Amino acid sequence: MTPSRLLVCVVLASVALTARSARAHHSFAMFDFEKVVTLTGTVKEFQWTNPHVVLWVNADGKDPKKPDVWYLEMTSPGNLTRGGWSRKACNAGDRVTVELNPLRNGDLGGALIKVTNQTTGQTFSTNLRDMEKPNLK
Amino acid sequence: MLAALLALLLSGEPETVIMNPAPTAADWAALAKLPDWSGVWTPGISDQVRRIKADPVPWKPELAAQVKALEAEEAAGRPKGLFVDCLPEAMPSWMLISHNAMEVLFTPGRVTLLGESDGNRLRRIYTDGRGHPPDPDPTFHGHSIGHWEGQTLVVDTVGVLPETYLAVSEAVGIPNDGDLHVLERIHLAAPDVLHDELEIIAPRILTRPWKTTRLFYRQRARKYDIVEGVCLQGFFAERKDAHGNAVFVPLPHVDGNPVAQPGRSPP
Repeated sequence: MTPSRLLVCVVLASVALTARSARAHHSFAMFDFEKVVTLTGTVKEFQWTNPHVVLWVNADGKDPKKPDVWYLEMTSPGNLTRGGWSRKACNAGDRVTVELNPLRNGDLGGALIKVTNQTTGQTFSTNLRDMEKPNLK
Repeated sequence: MLAALLALLLSGEPETVIMNPAPTAADWAALAKLPDWSGVWTPGISDQVRRIKADPVPWKPELAAQVKALEAEEAAGRPKGLFVDCLPEAMPSWMLISHNAMEVLFTPGRVTLLGESDGNRLRRIYTDGRGHPPDPDPTFHGHSIGHWEGQTLVVDTVGVLPETYLAVSEAVGIPNDGDLHVLERIHLAAPDVLHDELEIIAPRILTRPWKTTRLFYRQRARKYDIVEGVCLQGFFAERKDAHGNAVFVPLPHVDGNPVAQPGRSPP
């Protein structure tokens, strides 16, 4: 296989991975806000795009060669920036602990509540309800 | 000259071309007398939810079953995607259910609302005394004219696309079906709290005009500045092509929706 063909295969594999993404402007009712799940793992990808930022995490499990890939959604880049995030809050390869409200249907996804980036020592959370007053700093 | 006269005689009345006059120094100076709506305005989301429960939309009885079914699906964790294709929330749903910030610009003869997150979230409200066109081309945000009554901007909007939703959440709404008319009174209710008092007249889907109010909070910290937000960017993955160029690779989607979403099976 030539290097360019290999690269095309990598690109296609990456697209297949992200095809689960809910990258559209939608309700968050598919998440169970009564439940909180905590997981630890390694950042696979941090997609800093509208309308919903997505953090992909390879969660630690029994078989390190076959990690569970979790899909974690949050609000928009603009709203996250106001909450102190940046596109560099999480980087591929960073070790993270994540709190999330899981999908109701049991798939490996959730609405992110808080991420502690063990690699950088920083913690980020997001709650738009915290922005419901004027003159925030 | 002779040719122009001849053309006029042959064509009858000369076509009236309405010109937008260049603003004068006095026009710019007059803006300073308007209330200060500068800064970035973040929506009161909890208040949106509270008001929709306290003062529900007066849907026509024949639509109640549709609304109930949408509410049940949302409650069951299977929300219908009203905006998953990234079309604008449109008027009046932008004002009613947005989770995103906006800013307001005053220029002579116009007030402009610029919102975040879905690309072309923009309202032009003409305050130059014009009326509505007799038969405006329908658009997502309609044709808006406004005038100031003291410190209150009074806005009248018609010409909204019938396919756009009157939404109470991102998963519950009914297309307005035409003849939508929205009246607004926008004013500062406190030094840093903006109220949009809406009267939504949608005779094809409501039994009576629906009056409700939405709140926005002023932010001045620079990290609150509006950022560009293109909703459709989410339909693409940022990857490298075979040449090593940074490219957007489209994600598979059907009917404007990604083929699979968390909580939903592929169609």
